[in-house]
Amino acid sequence: MSDNAIRISDLTVRYGRMIAVDHAALDVTRGSVYALVGRNGAGKSSLVRCLLGQQRPQSGSASLFGEDAWSRRTSLMQRVGVVSEDADAPPEMSVAAIARFCSRLYDKWDQDGVEARLRTFGVPLTSRFGSLSKGQRKQVSLAMALAIAPELLVLDDPTLGLDVVARKSLFEEVIGDLADRGTTIFITTHDLAGVETFADRVGMMEHGRIVLDEDVDALKSRFRRIRFAAQPVAIDTAALRPTVMRSWGGGAEAIVSNYDDVSFERMRSTNNIGAAEVEAMSLEEIFIAIAGGNNS
Amino acid sequence: MKNALVIAAREFEEKRFVIYAAVAFAILPFLLAVIPGISGKSPQDTIVLSALIFGTTFAIAVAVISGASFIGRDLSDGRMSFYFSRPAGSASIWFGKLTAGILMIVGTFGFIIVPARLATGDRWTRMISSSSTWSVVYLLTIAIALFLIAHVISTFARSRSPLIVFDFAAAVICGVVIRLLLLPLVAGGAIVLLKWLAISLGIAAVVAIVGGGAWQLERGRTDRRRNHLALSQFLWTTMAAALLIAAGYVGWVVSAQPGDLTSHIEASRASSGPFAVISGNAKGRSDYRAAFLLNLDDGSKWRLEPRAQWGVRFTRDGRSAVVPHFAATAAEMFVYTRGKGEPVDTGLTTSDRDFFVSDDGGRIATISDQLLLSVYDVAQKRSLASVRLPFAKSMRAFFVSPDVIRIYLNVPDLKIEELDVRTRALRETGSVPSQAFMVAVPDPSAAHMLVHAFRSDVLFLNDARTGAVIKPLSTSAPVKAASYLRDGRIAFVDGQNSAAVLHILAADGTPQRDISLGAKKWVTILGDDGVRVVLTDTDVASGNRMFEAVNITSGAIEHRQPAHNSVASVVFDPRPSIEPLRDVLDIDAQGHAISWNPATGATRMITGG
Repeated sequence: MSDNAIRISDLTVRYGRMIAVDHAALDVTRGSVYALVGRNGAGKSSLVRCLLGQQRPQSGSASLFGEDAWSRRTSLMQRVGVVSEDADAPPEMSVAAIARFCSRLYDKWDQDGVEARLRTFGVPLTSRFGSLSKGQRKQVSLAMALAIAPELLVLDDPTLGLDVVARKSLFEEVIGDLADRGTTIFITTHDLAGVETFADRVGMMEHGRIVLDEDVDALKSRFRRIRFAAQPVAIDTAALRPTVMRSWGGGAEAIVSNYDDVSFERMRSTNNIGAAEVEAMSLEEIFIAIAGGNNS
Repeated sequence: MKNALVIAAREFEEKRFVIYAAVAFAILPFLLAVIPGISGKSPQDTIVLSALIFGTTFAIAVAVISGASFIGRDLSDGRMSFYFSRPAGSASIWFGKLTAGILMIVGTFGFIIVPARLATGDRWTRMISSSSTWSVVYLLTIAIALFLIAHVISTFARSRSPLIVFDFAAAVICGVVIRLLLLPLVAGGAIVLLKWLAISLGIAAVVAIVGGGAWQLERGRTDRRRNHLALSQFLWTTMAAALLIAAGYVGWVVSAQPGDLTSHIEASRASSGPFAVISGNAKGRSDYRAAFLLNLDDGSKWRLEPRAQWGVRFTRDGRSAVVPHFAATAAEMFVYTRGKGEPVDTGLTTSDRDFFVSDDGGRIATISDQLLLSVYDVAQKRSLASVRLPFAKSMRAFFVSPDVIRIYLNVPDLKIEELDVRTRALRETGSVPSQAFMVAVPDPSAAHMLVHAFRSDVLFLNDARTGAVIKPLSTSAPVKAASYLRDGRIAFVDGQNSAAVLHILAADGTPQRDISLGAKKWVTILGDDGVRVVLTDTDVASGNRMFEAVNITSGAIEHRQPAHNSVASVVFDPRPSIEPLRDVLDIDAQGHAISWNPATGATRMITGG
């Protein structure tokens, strides 16, 4: 049995001449929460479609629980709950009909759980799917995905369209609870603050490439914002690598991607730097720093 | 299977309003029947007709709309992931949706038709005919075909892929290939084969689309362009394979050789020279008829359209045959000449029914239904003259020379007219008064002719141009047959059935020799080879038909051959042939075409057994 719930190897997706995913590779271990972030058009959805066996990559492979996602999709989907980026159920169907339809396709189905979650979300079973708001549709999709007690939950931008309360509920009550129970979660999102508390690992895509794939703790420990009271004459880049360097007030602000206390103190003494303030950064700030740095 | 049914049920549930609409349309015929202004005298007729119209229209509309949307719309709207993110196989998704679509068509049609059928009883049967079951099957087949075609077009169009240009080209090529496959079978009158070919290609198309649908979802899944690509690949590959097999079969069918012909043999032969046209059904080729223009001397042949068989005219010099190649409403004339490989296009296209050719084939004359006689020069490829002929019950026309055409018209007097091609003048040159149908047989130079009334005892020698009587030849016994020999002498058979006599006379009518044939009836003079006259007759005692080669000099019957279905010479020209008669064709008791040589008495098989 594979330790990885997800393995993506050298995966490439092209649409004509445009490369959507460029030799991407990542692993998600069982029971972990993986957050894939990236700007719009970075290739996240194409990667997710390959991951779910909905699209065949031009090269490379995507496997779930050690099985090829393309060729073993039907059986794998018994173990995978999916919340798509665009809620995709036929608009004419009622929520109850969607639940009834799905229940017949899966080996196990928790109808009571579905109804309870929909009650919590405030979505009536009799509502037509097409008449629901974007956020409610996501909630319906999530309720259906959770009804099979999935081993893997794939959430493609699940907070899109959710209000602040619903977003908080999704992250803290649903995903947090699932994560605690050992369900593997793969989430693509722009809401880094939401996933920060429970994501074990984070990946970042840019222009189809995975430019970052790291444990959240390690990532957060090596990124620091350093504010200098005065403009430093120079920074020893061998010791601390500034991703961003800019003026700040009368001094300067540097974001370094390889911070550690020893290196910082050595740099401070070597370069005769006066007062400096070191701050930890949120995932969102790191993402902006990386994205901004790469763009610049 | 279970998932396919789950998906089919979901599709049904989604489209249940269509069923409601069908129920409403099922009620409508009964409402129309009680409206006085509409129902007329027979409310039952109104129910039957309106139910049929509503049912057919509804089923076809459902077919086209469902076909265009059941996969294509989900793909273009990005909703296919609803199915693909669940444990449902591509085949389950396809066949579930397909089953629902087809059941919807059949169901809505049934909802509208069945109540009307039950309510009108035998009135329905009388109006729709006893084949109403098949009519319903045909209608539903058409509706389901439209459903599948709409799916293909929808998938192609909604993908917005430039690949649609290739699909259009492939569809055109398929159409052209199918037309090319059907044409030789149509020309060969192969109705049964055409039907089976159409059914086979229809099944291939259904397999291509149904299999292609499953393949497109398996390969393309949620991506509309890849769906298009996969469907396109499967559809056109399957159709190409089917057309290749069909082409191979049709190629084999139309490759039948004269030796392959085994049944329904028909033939015609030149009275002069070795040409014959033969047609028939070949073994294993169903009802396809193959036809050939054969040179009986050397066995060379040209393949003809079977329907051209009865339009072939042989030239009197025995060197050529003029064959019409039929197009939609007209025929192009081609000249086939001994020793030349390819036929020559004369450039003459005509819709006229009758035509005849000059002795050497250099000129062709046609007679239209409106009795317009037109003369065409093959070498110059131009029309030389055109005149309207007077009405006659029957007529025979022939080229006396390339510039003169003589026409014998039964009106019922035998009127003789000549067209001078150079002056384009048609004038009456003579006549033979008679109240009976007259048969005129000119001599090789067309100066004199034998004239006798149908079923009369009198045979005259007349001037062939003026019709003036030169002398009576036979006045006492029923004339059974009369003809000129190639050297200008006269041969005729008369006498009672118990004692028929062949008379040989000089060109001026002087008797030379009488040859007793015995008890014979139904005598025909087929021709001569300079030494012997060849007859067909029926032996009175046995009732058997025989070919007989009678030596003119000795009077002996040299060779006899049973004649079953002797093959007539097809010429428009009533004069004797220029070349000696060498072969006589017959269709024997087994239906095989055989050739009999009257000089040797030898036979040879032309078609297979």
